[in-house]
This record gives sequence, structure tokens and C-alpha cells, in this order.
Amino acid sequence: MSELERSLVDLGRELDVPTEPDLVPTVLAAISPRSERRALPPRRLVLALAVLVLAALGATLAIPDARSAFLRIFDIGGERIEVVDDLPEVPVRTALEATLGERVTLEEARRESAFELRGLDAEPDRVYIGERGTVWFVYGTPSRPRLLLAQTPRLVADEPALAKKLAEQGTSVELVDVDDAQGAFLSGDPHFFFLLDRQGRVVEDGARLAGNVLIWDEGGVAYRLEGDFGREEALRLARALRPGI
Amino acid sequence: MYQGIAHRTAFLLTGSSADAEEAAQTAFVKAWHALPRFRPGAPFKPWLLRIVANEAHNRRRSAGRRAALELRATAAQPPVDAAPSPEGAAIGREARELLLAAVARLDERDRDVLTCRYFLELSEDETAEVLGVRRGTVKSRTARALARLREEVGE
Repeated sequence: MSELERSLVDLGRELDVPTEPDLVPTVLAAISPRSERRALPPRRLVLALAVLVLAALGATLAIPDARSAFLRIFDIGGERIEVVDDLPEVPVRTALEATLGERVTLEEARRESAFELRGLDAEPDRVYIGERGTVWFVYGTPSRPRLLLAQTPRLVADEPALAKKLAEQGTSVELVDVDDAQGAFLSGDPHFFFLLDRQGRVVEDGARLAGNVLIWDEGGVAYRLEGDFGREEALRLARALRPGI
Repeated sequence: MYQGIAHRTAFLLTGSSADAEEAAQTAFVKAWHALPRFRPGAPFKPWLLRIVANEAHNRRRSAGRRAALELRATAAQPPVDAAPSPEGAAIGREARELLLAAVARLDERDRDVLTCRYFLELSEDETAEVLGVRRGTVKSRTARALARLREEVGE
């Protein structure tokens, strides 16, 4: 161990960490059977979830028309898809690159990721690592992307949705099978894409308009393919992804 | 049993006592629900600390703040028989503060790996588990972070 490393260890032992609070009562209360989710009828449960999500969205983004009714909700492939009757007014980021994260090389992405990356035969033109360890492959350029592939590890067993989509009725949501995994294909009108934190809160200050998307979850990794393609082409691309790129 | 290390981890990663308490609390609840998926025989501490670290990162990012803002070195009490002169004590304190400030200026990934390896004294394997990266990544990131730190402190 070098002198600097020894100094760091010594420093760590001298850091002024506040006295640990007694977490036991709060944690016990949270995990006690009384606080477990009550067995609401499915319809009431969906309504309750909708109210919670609305509250989180309204508080975080101050969306003025949070009165918009939820028509359908899907939890697929690590994403929560909400079909509403009216999209809210939110700041929309137009520069794709600003929403993806830090640009890295493919080799760096391989090293940084705790899971095996999958890709098409052709190497991506650009690679980014963003929120929650998401690896983005961009085929084409950020200004004219031909295809986007996102791979996000799901780390915790009870992890809620990784991302949220808000779509209007003009957006078609079709449930599809991607090999053995269930997925969803969204097409038609563009929809908003938000990243969520582990409490289901929106972590970005704006949304991105997304086009046609295929999403699914396989082996603890949430995948999303985005591009100007139809359902069959999206499924063909998804099945062509190979590990060990 | 693990409350102390969970809270310490959360505090060192968030740099905020309020966020640390919330992160540790939420992590314990999530760990409880995730227990059925815990692999019997696997080390429990890094598994738990990974959940804590995830919670800490979420809070840090939500707040958009740099970690380590509340970190302070205590005025260490040296053994009586090794007590330095007042001048020596002042130099030691200044060196610790400079080192801590240099760590705080590192980017998030470098700071996190140094926090795990040296402030929390976790092994490379434990650090890899907690940060959700490979062991090789821990080694390379640690080397890079130490090199940057040497530049910062002018060692």
C-alpha cells in the first residue's frame, strides 16, 4: 500500500460521520404485515397507482394538466407505459445526445458494464453510458440516428419501473413476444420518455420525444430498440441481437 | 448488525446526513423484500451495501449535488506518548483537509471507488459488488483515481 493509500485509510477513519440514527423502528414499521400493500381489487389498485404516479409527476415537473385521465397502464420490460387522454406540457429536449449520458468507447462500455452487452453484427457508431448504468448504442449520428439500442441492468429484485412513457391514444401499444420474453411495441404518435429513479420519481427535468419503440426485459436487463421501423422489423432486429459484441 | 456500515456508506456516498438516513432506511426495506433472491452462501454485506449505494446514488442525483460536501475530518486524538507539537498537529490537520478536498474534486466514479476501497476499507471484490462493476474495473478505476489524486495534491 502506497503512502497516499495509507493516508486515505487514515483519513477515512478520522472522518466525522454523524451518529447513526436508530432505523429499526421505521424499518420494522415499513416491513410489518400491516403496512404491506392491502389486497385492493385490481381496478382500485390501478387507480391507486395512477394517483400516486400523478402526484409524483405533478410534484416533480409541475405539470399543469395532471388532471389528464389514465386510460391504460402497462408494466413491460422495465418500463411503465401510461396511455393518457392528453399529453402534459413538459420541457422537451431536442438534442438527443444530451439525454444519453457520457460518450464512451465500445471497449469502455464493455468494461464498465456489469452485464454482457448485446448488439447487432455491425458495431454501433456511438456509445454512451447514462443514468442507472444504461448503455446506449447509436447507429447513425445523434442528429440523424437510424437506430437506438438501450440496455439497462435491473439491479434489485423489487425494483419498480426504470422508465416511463406517456402516450396519447394515437400511440398504439401492442404486446409482443421477443423470444421467451414479453415485450411491447409502441408506434404511431410520438410519446414522452422519462427516466425514473427507484422510487418511481422522474429524475430528469425534461422529456424526450420518442418514435417507434420495442421494449422487453430478458435476463435481468431491460432492452429498448427505437427507430423508424414497423413491428416485424423491430422484432427481427431484436432477435438478431447477439451477446458478446 | 449492519446498520452502522449501511449508514456510514450512505453518508460517505451522499455527503448529506439527511439523505444518508433516508437512503439507509429505504435500502433496509428493499433488502428485506429482496431477501428471497439473496443467494445463500454469498457474502451478505456487499449485497446489502449495493442496495444502499444504489439508494445513495439516486438521492445524490436527484439533488444534483456533489457528494462529500458535509464531510469533515475530526480533530484526531493522537496517542499521548506520540502527541505532536501544536505546529505538527496543525500541519497534520491541514494535510487531511487538503486530501479530503482533493477527493471531493474528483469525478463521481473516481470518488466512489476511493470511498469504497479506502474510507470504507472494502476489498476489491466487495467494491465490485457494491458498485455493480467488474473487479478489473475496480482495479483500473482505483489506479486512475489515485493518479488523479496525486496530481491534485501534488505528491
